[in-house]
Amino acid sequence: MTKGKKFLAYAFLTVVSVISVFPLYWMMVAATNKSVDVSRGTLIFGTALFDNVKKLFASQNVATALGNSFKYSIIMTFISLLVCSIAGYGFEVFHDKAKDRVMSVILLAMMVPFAATMIPLYRMFSSARLLNSTLGFILPTISTPFLIMMFRQSARSFPSDIMEAARLDGLSEFQIFYRMFLPTMRSTYAAAMTITFMSAWNSYLWPKVIMSDANSITMPMLVANLTEGYVTDYGILMLAVLVCTIPTVIVFFLLQRSFAEGITGAVK
Amino acid sequence: MKRRIASILLAGAMVASLTACGNSGGAGQNAGDGAKANELTVWCWDPAFNIYAMEEAAKVYQKDHPDFKLNVVETPWADVQTKLTTAATSKNLDTLPDILLMQDNAFQKNVISYPDAFKDLTGSGVDFSKFPKAKTAYSVVEGKNYGVPFDNGAAIAAYRTDVLKEAGFTDADFTDITWSKYQAMGKEILAKTGKPLLSCTAGESDLIMIMLQSAGGSLFDKDGNPSMVGNDKLKKVIETYVSLVKSGVLVEVNDWDQYVGTMTNSTVAGTINGCWIMASIQTAEDQSGNWAITNIPKLEGVGDATNYSNNGGSSWAVTAGSKNPELAADFLSKTFAGSVPFYETILPKSGALATYLPAADSKVYGEPQEFFGGKPVYAQITEFASKVPSNNTGVYYYEARDAVATAITHVVSGADIDSEIKTAEDTVKFAMGK
Repeated sequence: MTKGKKFLAYAFLTVVSVISVFPLYWMMVAATNKSVDVSRGTLIFGTALFDNVKKLFASQNVATALGNSFKYSIIMTFISLLVCSIAGYGFEVFHDKAKDRVMSVILLAMMVPFAATMIPLYRMFSSARLLNSTLGFILPTISTPFLIMMFRQSARSFPSDIMEAARLDGLSEFQIFYRMFLPTMRSTYAAAMTITFMSAWNSYLWPKVIMSDANSITMPMLVANLTEGYVTDYGILMLAVLVCTIPTVIVFFLLQRSFAEGITGAVK
Repeated sequence: MKRRIASILLAGAMVASLTACGNSGGAGQNAGDGAKANELTVWCWDPAFNIYAMEEAAKVYQKDHPDFKLNVVETPWADVQTKLTTAATSKNLDTLPDILLMQDNAFQKNVISYPDAFKDLTGSGVDFSKFPKAKTAYSVVEGKNYGVPFDNGAAIAAYRTDVLKEAGFTDADFTDITWSKYQAMGKEILAKTGKPLLSCTAGESDLIMIMLQSAGGSLFDKDGNPSMVGNDKLKKVIETYVSLVKSGVLVEVNDWDQYVGTMTNSTVAGTINGCWIMASIQTAEDQSGNWAITNIPKLEGVGDATNYSNNGGSSWAVTAGSKNPELAADFLSKTFAGSVPFYETILPKSGALATYLPAADSKVYGEPQEFFGGKPVYAQITEFASKVPSNNTGVYYYEARDAVATAITHVVSGADIDSEIKTAEDTVKFAMGK
């Protein structure tokens, strides 16, 4: 690469990174400013952070929302990983024609938008008396075609010779999964965990539809509450968005390396 | 083996915690479940405004009914609509709360689409004659009242008196005027101060609808059929709008935040909107004393033109699935539709301007407002509200508004008005399946 080309490349990359980082920077700036200054377009950190924090906590039940969001997301991630990894493993390791067909049906389900199934689901959950419950919150999204497919793909790279050997040595099928598959697929699990945690944390429509209790509010619902009203306080709103973003950012950074490996399907 | 036991124990603990969570939901299955005879659940949005008003209303009602309990669940409007649609189409009406707040623009649509979901409040003890007719009209379907009016959407024109002064005008010059006079003075102000008189969001039909309603015009006829082609009022409105844009007196911005920004940044000399815009104006504390409120300009050359209109506003609906519909109606009739002291309490603290006519004469409404040049703007606006002509909304109001907004965008960039109106009407007819 010549010097000129290199310069161009760097210039381009700089512009792109500024564009992608700017909204985050602006969010933080806005969280420290008064609403009127935000709407006047300020780009420097202000002094209203403490005021915004006070007002946010006074007007919204942030502790409950954070607690609920963590509760739902952690339970959902845990169960979802368990169910989907077993399913993906099963589809690949014990596959036959019939199971492949079932898998295609599951993949087809990926194409159905949630809005189309929402009302029937609501009817089902209402008759099962699962409205306003954690189970109702997590049940529709515990098993997602995407995760099953992801685990199925990574199970494909799991050598079958080892399994044969393990069977000869007397390990049960469950033990093979638990003792051999699970530890080797750590990066896939990490990637799946990041994805599931984020989507559970950010999920809005379904929880909003089935949760009608003020005590079951989650962080995205809290943010939505702040945007409604004749006057939107942008400072408080951005502070709430910041609080809502931090946990997913932490999860992502903690699992970042494994996430990249898991997505690209690397097995050591 | 140890591991196996551990994993079984873990799985067991997980299942146990899950069932525990399932029960700890607290509120029970349905919003109405566990509701005692003296308890009501309400869905509404905006803690500073609607929720605050509801809680104050509960306090008023508790004076005579000490056992009364009110449970407000903060729910943004878009979600009220989603949950209402889900519950009504899946026939689970008992999952709705006793009372919900509804945007006036969507009121008829919801009552017509889900006739079983709402309680007819005619004859329930609520005195609807105490509200302006144009306001109650939003929640009347086939002659029956379904809503108790709450917040005011009366249109106001707000002006920066300091900017007007710079150009040699006062807010009195802008009272009871026509749009052509408005435009002429606006041009002069633009030339002298460089500031347009008005800003609005491009691709939104708010201002169009304000103008149309001020002349008693609607996008639908009495039977709910679209009436855009051949609607002289609509054509006049679009012509007026385009002429304002072309003269530079009206500047179009890209979104709501920019629109608020034009006022807080002092880049415009005024605005026209529902009176709730005052709350946004007042966030710029340094402009206190420099704003004045008056009525809006009127259209020329069309019959029934007035200087009054409406944009937005909402009303309380009682659901048919409510376990205590009588209590809900009684509660609303003794507070939102029957207590001047209640309105006197909520106004100063939240600026929650209502449409209850008897409140307009109260002392609190007549108090001078420093921010708006020391004028009693609240009494003034309540009076405006009483003069607003009615608007037919119907089921497809939002679709029609969007179609008109698209037409406006095209006409501003040079398209022919008549053919654009025709396209808009066809779009709405298509949405209606006609």
